[in-house]
Amino acid sequence: MAPLLLLESCTKRFGGLIANRDVSLAIAHGEIVGLIGPNGAGKTTLFNCISGALHPDQGRIAFDGVDISRARPDRVCHLGIARTWQVVRSFGRMTTLENVMCGALRRTNRVGPARARALELMAFTGLADKADALAAGLTLADKKRLEITRALATGPRLLLLDEAMSGLTPLETAAAVELVRRIHSELGLAICVVEHVMEVVMPLSHRVVVLDRGEKLTEGRPEDIARDERVITAYLGDRYRA
Amino acid sequence: MVGALIALAYPLPFETGGYVYYETVGFLVLLNAMLGIGWNIIGGWAGQFDFGPNIFFAMGAYTAALLAIHFQANAWLGLVGAVAVAVIVCAAVTYPITRLRGHYFAIATVAMWMIAQPIGATWEFINGSRGLFIPVSPGGGFVRGMLTMGFPGRGKGLGFYYLTLLLFALTLLGARAVEHSKLGLYFRAVRDDQDGAEGIGIDSRLYKVIARCLMAAVFAAGGVLYGFWALSVLPDQVLEVNWNILPMMAAVVGGLGRLWGPVLGSIVLIPISQVMTATLGSGPLAGRGIDLIIYGAVIMLIAGWRPNGLLSLPWARWAQRLRGRAPATAVKG
Repeated sequence: MAPLLLLESCTKRFGGLIANRDVSLAIAHGEIVGLIGPNGAGKTTLFNCISGALHPDQGRIAFDGVDISRARPDRVCHLGIARTWQVVRSFGRMTTLENVMCGALRRTNRVGPARARALELMAFTGLADKADALAAGLTLADKKRLEITRALATGPRLLLLDEAMSGLTPLETAAAVELVRRIHSELGLAICVVEHVMEVVMPLSHRVVVLDRGEKLTEGRPEDIARDERVITAYLGDRYRA
Repeated sequence: MVGALIALAYPLPFETGGYVYYETVGFLVLLNAMLGIGWNIIGGWAGQFDFGPNIFFAMGAYTAALLAIHFQANAWLGLVGAVAVAVIVCAAVTYPITRLRGHYFAIATVAMWMIAQPIGATWEFINGSRGLFIPVSPGGGFVRGMLTMGFPGRGKGLGFYYLTLLLFALTLLGARAVEHSKLGLYFRAVRDDQDGAEGIGIDSRLYKVIARCLMAAVFAAGGVLYGFWALSVLPDQVLEVNWNILPMMAAVVGGLGRLWGPVLGSIVLIPISQVMTATLGSGPLAGRGIDLIIYGAVIMLIAGWRPNGLLSLPWARWAQRLRGRAPATAVKG
């Protein structure tokens, strides 16, 4: 079966800086892929290229057989990729419900069905009691949860989570990991998780891809990656080699 | 409901008492409230400050005037044509600038207004700085006046008051329908976070264009009213800076992004400006702009005291206190 998302040797430069060099990657239907790497490894740039916020200078990105290398973000979303942001981008002066409705309106033009769908999803993600609160007043954990709910409302087949758990307390992180698990098991989405906290990615992912200085270092099962010499070196430096 | 009755009855005492000037004030309040509602769509909901909306006001006035002069077109037909022209031109000139965000979008709209001024003053097709004069056929009563927007002789103040009230009400109802529709939600999403909006499938450029076209439609309709009221379309009048500033000020003072904000702002601001022009504009201080200084001070006071507009005052709590009930506690997120 053809992969859902396919990156073929993508390169993205910012002036002289090469943020992504020759990165190839495939994500299958219903798979959870962890994308890890130290700060500045190019994880978010790669996300931006996939979601259409940036376009790769070289290489090709295909989603379900459609070339999206040059597609704008709204088009990418229409095709079935939804994302969240490292720095939350909730619509602050709108209520939680209205935020999610905006996502749900991707699939309908009528406000009534969008509201019903939004409430349904908010019950699923545990935001139902905050429906009428302004998004700007939510806690960081709830804002991140809101972004995930809003992304789900667009009806994606692939969900990109950019550090959806960073900045949270251990308890909140555990709840977020649980939510991602439920999204995978109950909604059957393919999910790509960017994190630089290994403890979050490893137990969650079916497969882990490691980026370092813009290049793909390696990929494999979480338990193999955790023992990989090159990964340890990239994260901790030579001095701490086991 | 009460407001609607007051609005309907407002000019009657002046009509019988002969103070037609107050009908003109009412006309200006409604006209600016209507324009303010239009401006609120792009400025308040879509969050893109447009400092040059009066080009569509002018476009509306000119289109209806040209149709009346060359084709003896009825004013309402002229209004339809004016709205169509303004929306088409707006879509064409706005799409390129929707790549710009924030201040840069605002600067681009100012630039359009500055380009429009010399065009209005020199383009021979619209008679350059000499302007156009709208022919009005003599005779006919109130009903015929409403159907043609022509009131030769007396009855003009009353007639235009009700004409504007009608268009104002249509604008308000239209805006209310938009507010709670997909459009309204998408406008506010683009305002609050453009990247976030695009990420959930909203084409931000398209929705900015739609928002500005809705505004252009309202301004074009307002321009037609003004043209037929003044019976002339002069470039320095229809491209006057006040048609940019007053609707915007009405929205900001009343409550940016709120449906009734521009209405309240207009009710507060326009009479102040009219009363001061009338009382301080003549006499010993005449010609020194003292009326404008006081007007500016009032706006600064309101803006400093209530930056979110007069509608952000706790009206609901006050109303409840009047009725003797404890105020409902706000739900905390």
